[in-house]
Amino acid sequence: MTTSVLKPYEARRSATGRLAALTAVNHKTIGLRWIVTAFAFFIAAGLLALTMVTQLSRAGLGLLSAEIYNQFFTMHGITMMFYFAVPIMLGLGLYFVPLMIGARAVVFPRLNAFAYWVYLFSGVGLWIALFLGRAPDAGWFSYTPLAGPNYSPGINVDLYALSIAFLEASNLAAAVILIITILKMRAPGMSINRMPVFVWSILIASLMIVFAMPSLMLATTMLALDRIVGTAFFRIPAGGTSFLWQHLFWFFGHPEVYIVAIPAFGMVSTLLPPFSRRRLVGYLPVVLSQVLIGIISFGLWVHHMFAGELSVLAMTFFAAASMSIAIPSGTQVFAWISTIWMGEKPRVKTAYLWAVGFIPMFVIGGITGIMVAAPPFDWQVHDSHFVTAHFHYVLIGGAVFPMMGMLTYWFPKMTGRLLDETLGRWSFWLAFTGFNVAFFTLHYTGLRGMPRRVHTYMGGQGWSTPMTVTWLGALLLGAGFAVTLINVLKSLARGERAGANPWEAGSLEWAVSSPPPAHNFDAIPAVNSRMPLWYDVAEGSERRGGYELPEQERLTVGTSTLDGEPEQRLLVAGPAIEPLLLAVAGAVALYGALISLWLVPVGALIGFIAIVLWNWPGRNRAKEQG
Amino acid sequence: MSVDTRQGPVDATKLPLNLNDRRAPLWWGMVGLITIEAVLFASLIVSYFYLRFYAPAWPMGDISKPSLLLPSIGAIVLVVSSGPMVWADASIKKGNVRNLMTGLALSFVLGVAFLTLKFVEYSGYTYDWTTNAYGSITWTIVGFHSVHVIAVLLKVAVVFTAAAQGYFSAERNLGVRINGLYWHFVVAAWVPLFFTLYLSHYLL
Repeated sequence: MTTSVLKPYEARRSATGRLAALTAVNHKTIGLRWIVTAFAFFIAAGLLALTMVTQLSRAGLGLLSAEIYNQFFTMHGITMMFYFAVPIMLGLGLYFVPLMIGARAVVFPRLNAFAYWVYLFSGVGLWIALFLGRAPDAGWFSYTPLAGPNYSPGINVDLYALSIAFLEASNLAAAVILIITILKMRAPGMSINRMPVFVWSILIASLMIVFAMPSLMLATTMLALDRIVGTAFFRIPAGGTSFLWQHLFWFFGHPEVYIVAIPAFGMVSTLLPPFSRRRLVGYLPVVLSQVLIGIISFGLWVHHMFAGELSVLAMTFFAAASMSIAIPSGTQVFAWISTIWMGEKPRVKTAYLWAVGFIPMFVIGGITGIMVAAPPFDWQVHDSHFVTAHFHYVLIGGAVFPMMGMLTYWFPKMTGRLLDETLGRWSFWLAFTGFNVAFFTLHYTGLRGMPRRVHTYMGGQGWSTPMTVTWLGALLLGAGFAVTLINVLKSLARGERAGANPWEAGSLEWAVSSPPPAHNFDAIPAVNSRMPLWYDVAEGSERRGGYELPEQERLTVGTSTLDGEPEQRLLVAGPAIEPLLLAVAGAVALYGALISLWLVPVGALIGFIAIVLWNWPGRNRAKEQG
Repeated sequence: MSVDTRQGPVDATKLPLNLNDRRAPLWWGMVGLITIEAVLFASLIVSYFYLRFYAPAWPMGDISKPSLLLPSIGAIVLVVSSGPMVWADASIKKGNVRNLMTGLALSFVLGVAFLTLKFVEYSGYTYDWTTNAYGSITWTIVGFHSVHVIAVLLKVAVVFTAAAQGYFSAERNLGVRINGLYWHFVVAAWVPLFFTLYLSHYLL
């Protein structure tokens, strides 16, 4: 290593000492925290679901009271959507995007740490409330007037409004980090048409977050204001309207589904090629389909409100727009099938099974989606188990399956050890079978009129038997995920050593050791194709060279947005405590509002101090002349 | 065109360190923040008109239309405040720290004047956010925008202090310009808000 030109950094090169865990900013440390935290929430919310389906397995069971059941299904939905589905996508993006694009870091490492702390605080806050029996209980979309101060007195829904508003700050920060990292920090030569499809999908999902989540932030803020300081946005006698809540919520809520689904599409597009030994068929149509889905998804939100008071024109428009999503979705399905078809005989590993298992599940969820996109059908099954079945096909089959595949695929990169294949297969087949038994049956109970969100029901309606079947399926599904959990714990300690590229895949994350060094790349790679590890290596020669840059943890290369031409060296910020301080300030201001409004300015003051310390010129910063 | 490194390594240490223009990540970060906030302001405006669309009378109840005099002066003051900020930007590009500080101070004073006018105006209203949905949305919009003005004033104070310590120069001024960009955004956001809160009563 040459002599440092960045002396002031040396002392803070890596997080060491007692505060290391609190000051860490490396994108892999933070990314891993997002991933582990998201899976912890997944397990917790899954256990809630198992308890609920046990309660419903027979008519008239008394395992859960109505109050607790309401909190359970609300927390199940909130946790799965807000604290698992989106964060796991962001976490995988924050960990793997820099590796896949040949960068040494994400663009604002400290903002990244801040985003993680906010995510953690807001989620843990809600779960503490659940253990105290005070969790939100008006459903994950908390419709007013039910969620308003008159019908939901108490702290429960306050926590919903404040926690979700707080969380959105975190998701928005992470999205901006991902967008800029992807647009400005790709390895030289990785023009935008050479980006891995997963990176494309993260870019699209992040852009969607930027345009969708402010609407939710506003809605939850209005709800909090209505509840805490007495505004009248949703208070009907004072001129408010509950439809405003529905519009603002679903303007976010529908893109939200695709914010989860598009990265899942990217995952399947990433998983199929290495196991089919062929590049993805139709890179361009697949990417364009994802862009198109991203755009169309902003014009669909009203289909969640068909049961409300809408004009025929509005319903027709939103029904047609909803059905049109099938076109780009179908395009991708055919690209995936073609990739399998035209590739070599596939190597059927666990990760491949999850990706292939995704395809029929996503198609089923898509078809029921087209069914409920037709208003008359929607009125018939609205708020019934049919809808529950539909969106679980989309979200479990369509998003969790690819995620499990990606976990299996990337686990060796993150830990250096492979997951056990036998356990992996058990996990897949248990989950696949259990999932279909549980949720296909719900279509039937839904068509037989069984509503969502009831804590129990009377016998003699033909629901008991199918609900027992669903319960058994859910147990199998839970067992399937439990096997993966055991597999992870076992393999962490005793898994087979993986090596740099166990799947012989073609993207850049496999060019570095497993787990990757703190700075990812010794030299910034130069890219000449979409699959650098497959196509960039000249016949009979080793891959070598790259853009050499000392100060490995502190510098990376910035490139131009479209062509990936090298432009500049970029400083990478080092460990700092301020992000944690700022997140604490936010928590004081928001949750403090529930105790005394005076805590809001106190939190704001701590926040201001944290921001000034964070940004003060010269502090924690390199001398900028080399 | 990027170099084909299959033949061997390339020295990247000759690349400039952290460019000082629109290719800087910090610039992009500010654009990201502004985009998010613009969507927020747009959502507020849409909510305003949605409530108005459903209301039998607007403003609601016995609230009268706002007078235009004080708000118009405020809007002009705020728009004018962008001028010294542009001048401050241009000055530091030429390395003139004194003019930079003067520009920042002028903008700061105009920003404070805008807030004072808003305070005077809203102190005079008989309704507040609890009165009805009209009160809720107008107070929220004004409160939300005022918080932005306060935040950007604090930012200007910090940049001013750093400038006083001689941190900025003709070569190193990204902080000033990014701060300026945010100032212009807070000013520009007021234009559609001014239309919504005041002019729309008379024009729509």
